[in-house]
Amino acid sequence: MFKVFQLVIDWSEVWALLIPISLLLLKKQPAVLKPVVFYVWIALFINLAIDLTWKIRTILPAEYNSNNYLYNLHSIIRFFLFSLFFIKLNQAFLTTVKKVIPVCFLVFVIINFTFYENFFDYWKLSSRLLSVEAILLLFYTLQYYLFKINDHVGVNIFNSDFWIVTGLGIYVTINFFIFLLYNELTIRMQHFAITLWNAHNISYIIFNLFIAKGFYESRKQ
Amino acid sequence: MNQGSNDIRLLLVVGIAAMLMLFISLLLIFIFTQRKKLQYQNELQAMQNAQKNQLIEAAVRSEEIERHRIAEELHDEVGAILGASSLHFNSVRIEEPDESNQSLYQKGKDLLDEGINKIRGLSHSLHSSILQEFGLNEAISHFCSKISHESIIEISVTLDNSYPTQVGQNDISIYRIVQEFIHNITKHAKATKIFVRSIYLNKTLMITITHNGKGLTQPHFEELRFKKDGLGLKNIQNRIILLKADLKFSHHAGGYAIDISVPID
Repeated sequence: MFKVFQLVIDWSEVWALLIPISLLLLKKQPAVLKPVVFYVWIALFINLAIDLTWKIRTILPAEYNSNNYLYNLHSIIRFFLFSLFFIKLNQAFLTTVKKVIPVCFLVFVIINFTFYENFFDYWKLSSRLLSVEAILLLFYTLQYYLFKINDHVGVNIFNSDFWIVTGLGIYVTINFFIFLLYNELTIRMQHFAITLWNAHNISYIIFNLFIAKGFYESRKQ
Repeated sequence: MNQGSNDIRLLLVVGIAAMLMLFISLLLIFIFTQRKKLQYQNELQAMQNAQKNQLIEAAVRSEEIERHRIAEELHDEVGAILGASSLHFNSVRIEEPDESNQSLYQKGKDLLDEGINKIRGLSHSLHSSILQEFGLNEAISHFCSKISHESIIEISVTLDNSYPTQVGQNDISIYRIVQEFIHNITKHAKATKIFVRSIYLNKTLMITITHNGKGLTQPHFEELRFKKDGLGLKNIQNRIILLKADLKFSHHAGGYAIDISVPID
């Protein structure tokens, strides 16, 4: 029973994305949600590659059986697509900051992987990259709520962007410390680190459920 | 080593818990303030609607008072003066041979009688004494019989007798709506047959006016309500709001229908 549960959780980064994707097949989403639509499709392929690499790592050549660079890639793509999503929301609040952040992040990625870390590191994903991404996405999430608190309220406060932003907020809130300490944990407590990844996967399921709810709400708007 | 691992574990748990608590707090504050704002907006909207309804009510009531005043003025003052003039006119003696003067006299007398009749008709249409004395059903029947003319327009009326004859505060508005619709049907729709029917059930009066002319459909009415300069449809709409009634236009094979559903307190 535990093994089945573990198998379901292990593959959750793939099947959870099928929930919002199934809604995408039913209805075209508005332009403002396009970055999120792109994200779920791209994330599906990256996560499929991540999980397949992990599951068949024993039969893959040694130099190709690490999936850590795919997590780095996923993190960068997720950050840029969600930055675009927040910019496209057209909220008249911290607009310059919101546009400058992706540029700063790009500079950070280039400097980090040129001088300090290896993007294709075989042994570990980049804790620094993932935690910086999480904190910046959390900033976007918080500024969204602050803007909404001061803004005129619409007829429905639980609209599609609210659900997507809240899902993202929950995901990055739970995972910020996991990402930040993950490299350290893999060195000191590898077994705990692997178990802890289940928490990441569960938060990823929640994130996808919220995205699906966001896509579903957009049908009513 | 072990102490260090425990510290990291503690930092991780405390960190995640603190972050989650902060995030959930912010989320709850957000939802709470948004709900408050939404509630405030809804209350404001309800207040604005109530004010709007009060204004409409005041406008409709003052219009009725003004109609009443003009009707009384016409009937009691102008009607009386014209009646007295007619009496004086009748006492004037014209010499038999003077045919030209006699013809002018006769013409003047006819015009005066016509004026008296017109004033009386106008006075009655402005203020329906039948409505006040005999109730809504009788007023509608009387109005329809006045308009109906065998060779031009035929109006059939079937009204629910269970509707109280005692005049309610909304009856004048219902009467005006029916009056305005029948005027519009004869004037604009060019109908030759009109059927007015009413059903009074569960404290709701449902009046249906069907006709064979070129009537209005619901979208057409919605369009005219905002575009048309004429006051008729606006007055109807105001009275519908005042009565908290429902108004529906439809088109069937047999002709056009107007359904008015009025809750009666």
